[in-house]
Amino acid sequence: MAAEVDQKVVVHVRSTGDAPILKQSKFKISGRDKFLKVIEFLRRQLHQDTLFVYINSAFSPNPDELVIDLYNNFGIDGKLVVNYALSAAWG
Amino acid sequence: MGGSPAGDGTLSLDGFNASAAALVKRWKEIEVDDSLPDWTWKPCSKMGVPSEVEGYLALEGVYRDCGGSQEQIDENDNSDGADVVACDTWHSLCPFPLQVQSCSDNVHVYDFHVVYSYSYKVPVLYFQGHRSDGQLLTLDEIKQHLPSNSLKVLGESKWTFITREEHPHLSRPWFTLHPCATSDWMKLLLEQSKVAIEEQSLLRYLSAWLSVVGQAVGLKIALELHCNS
Repeated sequence: MAAEVDQKVVVHVRSTGDAPILKQSKFKISGRDKFLKVIEFLRRQLHQDTLFVYINSAFSPNPDELVIDLYNNFGIDGKLVVNYALSAAWG
Repeated sequence: MGGSPAGDGTLSLDGFNASAAALVKRWKEIEVDDSLPDWTWKPCSKMGVPSEVEGYLALEGVYRDCGGSQEQIDENDNSDGADVVACDTWHSLCPFPLQVQSCSDNVHVYDFHVVYSYSYKVPVLYFQGHRSDGQLLTLDEIKQHLPSNSLKVLGESKWTFITREEHPHLSRPWFTLHPCATSDWMKLLLEQSKVAIEEQSLLRYLSAWLSVVGQAVGLKIALELHCNS
């Protein structure tokens, strides 16, 4: 993928299970950011360290993935839908 | 079809076998940079006769250079290509015994097995690492390759994350990831799936599972695995 101009990606975060719904569920983020930034945003907003964060087509992205790559492959209707639940995968 | 996911995040043995076959096929299709070996299906054998239904998935010979720190690996987006060296490349780099000796301190080889658990009805990851001279790695040595988040979980919960247990088919102690929460997060992953056809979601079970498990042990899974073919 060629180094494009910095593209902004609209991320739509959706709660599942008993996770609280955020007041601001949509935000823009640089496509060059890593997915870790989305996870950290959710952790901060929810004051919760252990979250299960996943994409609507059934997988949990590696924090190192670039937001733009996720958007290009799994974006729907111009946004990247990210689900979160308050459960931890381990421990 | 009896092998479909039950909707509660669990999987039947038939479902596991079908999903395993789908993963092996898909993995071959997407593996573009050859940084990881292929998954293979290993039938279990009882009294020397390979079983037709029982077996496990294996990804063997994953090379990791342990010279660099985790931070350096994190910063490099394309680190998989750099720190996982294919078997034949590695041998050609170290053609002399003396150099093999010097390399052996820096290269760790990992094997990953995915085994069906009858009690939890989910796949379970077993893994072990060894040096090039065959000596098995201890948990402390394996920690060098674990992502920082896994180290944190390991510090908090000693008995419900990575433990050492008997490999169900090899009867030797391997490291394993505790499966007690697996069906819970698999349920989340599967119920949000846009794939309405049950059979499709069955085939995706193991790739979805691998996306979570891979993060725990630092096995980077290509994004293409989850794309629609």
